[in-house]
Amino acid sequence: MRSINQTWPLQHSRQQPWLLRILQSLLPLLLLFVALGLSHVATAADPDAEINGAVPAMDADTWRQVKSGENFIDSRHDSTYNLINPSGQTWRLIRNKWISPFGLIAIGGMLAMITLFYLIVGKNQLEEPRSGRKILRWSALNRALHWSVATLFILLALTGLNLLYGKFLFKPLFGDAFWASMISGSKLLHNYLGPLFGILLVIILMRFLKHNWPKREDFEWLRKGGGMVGKGHPDAGFANAGEKIWFWLLATAGIVVIASGLVMDFPNYQQTRDTMQWANIIHAIGALGLTAVALGHIYIGTLGTEGALEGMATGYVDESWAKQHHNLWYEEVKDQAVDGERLETSKGHADSKHDNPGPDPARPT
Amino acid sequence: MAQMKFMCDAERCIECNGCVTACKNANETEWGIQRRRVVTLNDGEPTEVSISVACMHCDDAPCMAVCPTDCFYKTDDGIVLHDKDLCIGCGYCLYACPFGAPQFPQQGAFGERGKMDKCTFCAGGPADNPEEEYMKYGANRIREGKLPLCAEMCSTKALLAGDAQTIADIFRERVVRRGHKDGAWSKLGDAPSAIDNMASDATRKP
Amino acid sequence: MRLTKRASMPQPSARPHAPGIGISRRQFLKRGSMAGGGLAGLGLLGTPMMRRAEAAERTPYSEAEVETKRTVCSHCSVGCGVYAEVQEGVWTRQEPAFDHPFNRGAHCAKGASLREHGHSTRRLKYPMKLVDGEWQRLSWEEAIDEIGSRVLELTEQHGPDSIYWLGSAKFSNEQAYLMRKFAALAGTNNTDHQARICHSTTVAGVANTWGYGAMTNSLNDLQNSRSIMFIGSNPSEAHPVAMQHILLAKERSQAEIIVVDPRFTRTAAKADHYVRIRPGSDVAFIWGLLWHIFENHWEDTEFIQQRVYGMEEVRAEVANFSPSEVERITGIPEDVMYSTAEILAKNRPGCVVWCMGGTQHTTGNNNTRAYCILELALGNLGVSGGGTNIFRGHDNVQGATDLGLTSDSLPGYYGLEEGAWRHWAKVWDLDYEWLKERFDQTEYADGFPMNSNGITVSRWVDGVLEDDTDISQRTNLKAMFYWGHAVNSQTRGPEMQKAMQALEMMVIVDPYPTVAAVMHGRSDGVYLLPAATQFETYGSVTATNRSLQWRDRVIEPMYESKPDHVIMYLMAKRLGFAEQLFKNIQVNGDEPLIEDITREFNRGMWTVGYTGQSPERLKAHQQNWHTFSFRSLKAEGGPADGDYYGLPWPCWGTPEFAHPGTTNLYDTSLPVSQGGLTFRARFGIERDGVSLLADGSFSKDSDLEDGYPEFTADMLKDLGWWDELTEEEKSAADGKNWKTDLSGGIQRVAIAHECAPFGNAKARCNVWTFPDPIPKHREPLYTSRRDLVEDYPTWNDVASHFRLPTLYKSIQQKDVTERYPIILTSGRLVEYEGGGEETRSMSWLAELQQEMFVEINPALANDIGVKNGAMVWVEGAEGGRVKVKAMVTPRVARGVVFMPFHFGGMFQGESLEQRYPEGSSPYVIGEAANTATTYGYDSVTQMQETKCTLCRIEPA
Repeated sequence: MRSINQTWPLQHSRQQPWLLRILQSLLPLLLLFVALGLSHVATAADPDAEINGAVPAMDADTWRQVKSGENFIDSRHDSTYNLINPSGQTWRLIRNKWISPFGLIAIGGMLAMITLFYLIVGKNQLEEPRSGRKILRWSALNRALHWSVATLFILLALTGLNLLYGKFLFKPLFGDAFWASMISGSKLLHNYLGPLFGILLVIILMRFLKHNWPKREDFEWLRKGGGMVGKGHPDAGFANAGEKIWFWLLATAGIVVIASGLVMDFPNYQQTRDTMQWANIIHAIGALGLTAVALGHIYIGTLGTEGALEGMATGYVDESWAKQHHNLWYEEVKDQAVDGERLETSKGHADSKHDNPGPDPARPT
Repeated sequence: MAQMKFMCDAERCIECNGCVTACKNANETEWGIQRRRVVTLNDGEPTEVSISVACMHCDDAPCMAVCPTDCFYKTDDGIVLHDKDLCIGCGYCLYACPFGAPQFPQQGAFGERGKMDKCTFCAGGPADNPEEEYMKYGANRIREGKLPLCAEMCSTKALLAGDAQTIADIFRERVVRRGHKDGAWSKLGDAPSAIDNMASDATRKP
Repeated sequence: MRLTKRASMPQPSARPHAPGIGISRRQFLKRGSMAGGGLAGLGLLGTPMMRRAEAAERTPYSEAEVETKRTVCSHCSVGCGVYAEVQEGVWTRQEPAFDHPFNRGAHCAKGASLREHGHSTRRLKYPMKLVDGEWQRLSWEEAIDEIGSRVLELTEQHGPDSIYWLGSAKFSNEQAYLMRKFAALAGTNNTDHQARICHSTTVAGVANTWGYGAMTNSLNDLQNSRSIMFIGSNPSEAHPVAMQHILLAKERSQAEIIVVDPRFTRTAAKADHYVRIRPGSDVAFIWGLLWHIFENHWEDTEFIQQRVYGMEEVRAEVANFSPSEVERITGIPEDVMYSTAEILAKNRPGCVVWCMGGTQHTTGNNNTRAYCILELALGNLGVSGGGTNIFRGHDNVQGATDLGLTSDSLPGYYGLEEGAWRHWAKVWDLDYEWLKERFDQTEYADGFPMNSNGITVSRWVDGVLEDDTDISQRTNLKAMFYWGHAVNSQTRGPEMQKAMQALEMMVIVDPYPTVAAVMHGRSDGVYLLPAATQFETYGSVTATNRSLQWRDRVIEPMYESKPDHVIMYLMAKRLGFAEQLFKNIQVNGDEPLIEDITREFNRGMWTVGYTGQSPERLKAHQQNWHTFSFRSLKAEGGPADGDYYGLPWPCWGTPEFAHPGTTNLYDTSLPVSQGGLTFRARFGIERDGVSLLADGSFSKDSDLEDGYPEFTADMLKDLGWWDELTEEEKSAADGKNWKTDLSGGIQRVAIAHECAPFGNAKARCNVWTFPDPIPKHREPLYTSRRDLVEDYPTWNDVASHFRLPTLYKSIQQKDVTERYPIILTSGRLVEYEGGGEETRSMSWLAELQQEMFVEINPALANDIGVKNGAMVWVEGAEGGRVKVKAMVTPRVARGVVFMPFHFGGMFQGESLEQRYPEGSSPYVIGEAANTATTYGYDSVTQMQETKCTLCRIEPA
C-alpha cells in the first residue's frame, strides 16, 4: 500500500516529458495515415459500376429491385442477403471517411488539450496541508470494481483502437507475422472482455447510482468550472458534478456502446448485416467519444488532482482533500476520520468495521 | 495486364446452380459456405430473373478498405485475394461487401466466425506450398492457365469469366445477335468457326 | 425454387441444425438435437473442432500422376461428357469437357458435383440383412447364398413369376441387357425399370405413330429450330444443359420458345410465351391448336398426303374442339390458342418437347400421340430443327428401354411372341425349348406367362396385394428385387408400405440404401446389397438423342460394393444358370466382360439398329469427342470421319458396315447410308383398302421411289437383289427379314440401294390397336371438373392388363371433390434426381435443397389460411398424407399445388432416419410427394398418374 502511495506520483512526473514526446511525434504520423485513408476513400468504390459490368443484361427496373432487396430467393439456404447490399457502401463511407479521422481527431485533440492544460495550469494542488487524518472514501470492493472496469476499459480502448487504426501503424512496423498475432489477440480480447466489461460496468453503475443523482449544488459547481472559475471552491457532495457527468455518460453512452458491441459480438442470433453495420457505427462513435472523455477522467484522477489517485488506490483520502473537493460529503463523514498512523496498524480491523463509510450506497440512509 | 472479372448474362442464367456446385467441386468449401450463389428475383413471376453472384473482384474493393487486419490484396490480374493467416473473422468485409461475398464457417458467440472465405477466382491464396494453398483456399486454376470452374461449367454459358474486355466483347456480340430479328446470325453464315465461337463463348482461351 | 425467402426459417424437425448460416457438414450431422444451442458451444468450441473435421473430409492433396478418364454424367439423359482426373485411385478433380459435342463442358448442379460420387460417405457399405429390426452385416457369400436359396425356394413353391426383378435405368446398356436376359433365364417377364413410369407412354405412342419410340432429333439439332414448344417439360430444372442449345436457338435463329405447363417453370421464365394449362387437358389443348391450324389452312398438305395416314379422322375429332370448348376444358382463351397455333405455323421447322408432364397420365398414350399428330400436321417431321424431342429422364433410360428391360418385350422391342424368343434364343445360342421350360407352363387370362406381358414396375404393389385369383399368373408376388430403384418415385405410398409388409423377401441392390430399405416397417426379410455406381464400372450408355457413349471406369468400387453385372453373375451362379447366361460372354473372376455383352446385343438388336455400335467404334468416338460438330454432331475428319456422335440408333448393319448412325429420324433429305430415313412400315401395308405405305416420298437416292414394306428375304428375291448377298449371308438370311437376319445381309443390301430396311410407310394418326385409335380427351380419374366427366369420361375398368385388373371408371365415378378440391401435381428440382436418395446423399447438392415443400398460390394460401413457410398437411385423395412446408408462390395457379418428388425418408409425418443402416442416411430427408398421390394407370402401358390428382391442404 505504502509503496504505491509513494511511487505513483513520482513515476508520473518522471514520465511526463517522455509521454509528451511520443504524443508529439505520433500525432502528425497518425494524421498522415488518416489523410491517406481519406484520399483512398476519395476514389470511391462503385458497386453499381461493378455489378453493371458483372450483370450487364439487367434492366433499370430489375436494378431498382435488386437494390431494394425485395422478393428474392437465394441458393444459400438461410441467406438473408439480397444481391446488393447498398448500406454496405454507406457503412464503409461513414466508417472510413468520418469515424476513423474524427475519432483520431477527438482522441488526439483531447490528449493535446490535456497536455496544454497541464503545461499551462498544472496540477490542482491541495490548498491546505495534509492533516494526516484519513477518511475512508472507497471500499475495497468498490476499488476492485473500479480498477477492474478501468483496466478493462483501457484494454478495450487499446484493442479497439488497434482494430481501427493498427493496420496503418503496426502492420508496416512489425511485419505480418507479429501483426497477425497482435491483431487476432486484439480481436479476441476485445470480443471476450467486452461482455465482461459490460457486466461489471452495470454493477458499478448500480452501486454508484446513489451518489450520482443530480443535486442543486451541481449547477453551481459546473458554473464555477469545478473551482477553476471565480473564487472559492464550489460545494460538492460525495460526487461532484464532473464525476456525475462521467457517471451519466457511462450510464448512457457506455451502455449504448456495450449494447451495440453485443449486437456485433453475438452474430448467432440472426441479426442482419444492416443491423450490425449500424451497431458498428454507434459502437465506434460511442467508444471513441468515451475514450476521449476517459482521457480527461484519467488525467483529473491522476496527474490533474493532488490526492485523488490516493483515494482510489488506498480507499482513504486526506481530510484536507475531502474538505477541498467534496465539502458537503466531508461534513457528513468528518467524525469518521481516523489517524493515518493508526490506520496503518489497524487497517484490517478498520476496513471490516467501516466497510461503507458515509452514506452507504448499498444501504438505505 | 488482364483485369479478371465475372459476368453473368441474366438472359441465359436458368438458376441451375451448376456454378454453385462447380465451386464446391473445385474448392471443397464446407457445408454452408457457397462462394458463389444464385439469386432469383420475382421467383415464379413473369419477371423472374436469376443472377449468379460471387466476389466481383472489385476495382476498389470495399472489403479491402475496411479490413482491420489489411489481409486483402489484389493480384496483377485484378483478383482480390485474402490471407487467411491474417484474417481474424471480424466480419467487417461482410458488412462492407455490396455482394454478400464473404462468408464465415460459423456465426458463433463472441464473434467467433472462423476465417473468412470467399471466391478466389480459383486463384488460391497466399501459402508456402501448393498443398497448404489447396487446403486453405481451394484450387488454383489460374496458375494452370484455367479459369474458375463455375464459369467453365456454366450450363448455358451464362456465367463468363476472364479478362474484363474479352468478356464484355463476347457479351456485346450476343446483344447484337439478340437484337436482330433474323439478322445478324445469318450474316455470319453457318461457318462452323463462327457458330462455335458463339456457342462456347470462350470462357477459356485455347 | 428454394423455400427460404428473405427471413431465415426454422429447420424441419427431422433435421435440426444449429443457428447461423455456416456450419460444417460434419457438425450438421453430429449436432442433431443441439438445435438452438449457440452461445458458448458454437463460439468457444466450434472453430478448432471444425477445422479438423473439415481437413479430414477434404479430398487429399496429391502431386501423384494424374490419370484422366472420360466418363458421362449419370444424372440425366443429356449425356454430358466429363473429364475425371484420378490420382492414386482417388477422384481428385473434375474438368469440364469443352470438346464434348453435347455439353461443351457445361453442367448443371448435379453434373458439376459429379466428383462427389467418388467421396460420398453415405453409401451402403456392405451387404446387410434386417434381423429383428436391426441391420446385420453379411459377407457377400452369405448374402448371395441366403438370397439365392430363398429365390429357389419361392420359385419351387410359387413358380418363377412370384419373384420380381426390378431393374434400373441407371444400368449401363450392358447391364440392362444382361438383367433382361437374366430375368428371361430365371423364367419370368416380371422385370421392368423406370422407363415404365417415365416415358413408356411416349415409347408406345410415338413408336405406334411412326415406328420408333424415341426422340427424333437431338439436343444439338434444337439449335436449328425456329419454334420450340415445351409441354410438360421443364429443361431448366430437369435437363439444364439442354437449355444451352435451346437458348442458342433463341438467340441465333430467334426461335420462338413456348412453354405450356400448369406451372410457370424456370423454363417458362426464359420463354417468349407461356401458356398455363389445366393439368390433364393436353389432348384438348393440342386439338385446340389443330382447330386453328386447320381453320387457317396452316397444315402441310403435301407432307400429309405423302407421309401421313388418318389425318382426316383427326380432322373430324378436332372439329369438336372449338375455341370455346377448348377454353372450357383447358382454361386457355381463344386468342392465346390462336396466337400459339400461329407461332407454330409461321416458325417452321419447329419441334415439340415433352417430358413427364405429358406422359405420366392415365391418358398418357393419347397425349403423346396428339403431340406427334400436331407435328405431322405441321410437316415438322424428318427435318432438322423439327420433330418430337422427347427428353428422357435417367441417364440410360433410353438404353435400358431399347435393351428390353421391360415386362412387355425382349431386347430391341421384339416383343414376347414365340418368334421373338426364338430370335433371342438364337442370339444367345440357347435351346429355345430349354428356355421355354424355364417358364410356368400354365395358361392364364393373359396367356402363357412366357408370352404375356409381365407385371409393370408401376403395379408391383398390386402384384403383391392382388388376390391370386384375379392375377394372370400362378400367385401374387412373393419377393421383390429393387435393383437400382427409388420406390418413392412411385405413387400410392401407404399401399406400397402394405405391399412391402406382405412380401416374403425384399432385396435392395443399390449404391445407397434407398427409401425401400426404410419405409417397409418390417423387422425381417430385407436384404441390402451394395452396388457400385457407373463411375466404378464401365460400359455404354444411351443418351436421350439415341447416341451411345462409352464410359471409362473412374475409380474402383467403393467400400464392398460390386458392379451390377458382377452381382448378376454371382446371383445367376447361385441360381444355377450362369453357364447359359454367360455362354458367349467371357467371365474374368466374377466379372463378365462388358465388351462381350456389347457384342452380344450388337448381334441381336437389328430392329432398332443397335448392331453397328461395337465397343471399338464407341471407344473411338469417346476418344475423339473434339472431332464431332457441336451443331450437327457429325465428325469432321479424324478416325470417326462422317459418323454422327455416338452412332445414334438406328446404326444399321454390322459394325464393319460402318453406318454413321441416324441423328435425325425419318429425314428423307439424306440417303439412308448417311443417316436418312423414312417412316417405318410397321403396321402392315394397307388397312381397309387404304395403303399405309408412303405416297411419292422416299429418302434421297433411294432405288425404290415410292412407299415399300419392310425388307425380307423374299422381297430381296422379288426385287432381284438377292444375289447381292454373299453366300454366307444368303444362308443366314433365307426365310428371315431385316429384323431376324443375324448376318445383317438384308439390311446391307437394302441400304446399298439407299432403302430403309424397315420399309417406307406413312406415319399413322389412327392407332387402331389402342383403346382410343384417335387420341381423345378424357378427364383424369381424380378430376376437380365433375362437369366434364360426363362429356369426357374415362374408360371402363379392365379385367386384366399386364396381368392385373385395372380400374378406370369405378374410380372416376366417385366424386371426392368436396373433401379434395385442389389439384396436385409434381415435378423436378434441379439439384436432385429421381427418388433423390443418391443426390440427397451428396452434401454439395443436399445443401442447396434442404426442405421438402409444396407450392401454393397466394390466393389459395389465403383461402386455406396458410402462410409462407408454415407446415401443412397435404392429403391425397386416397388418404396418404405428407407434412411439408408451404411455399407460397404465384408459380402455380390458384387451384393447383405442386410438390417435388425427390424427397424421402419421412413417412406421413414420421422420420425414418433411424431406420437407415448406421451412417448411410442421406443428408436431407423429407416427405415423399408420392405418399399422397393416387391410383391411375395408362390404358396402354400402365404408366402411373402423378401429374394430376386431387388433394386437400390443412395447416399442420
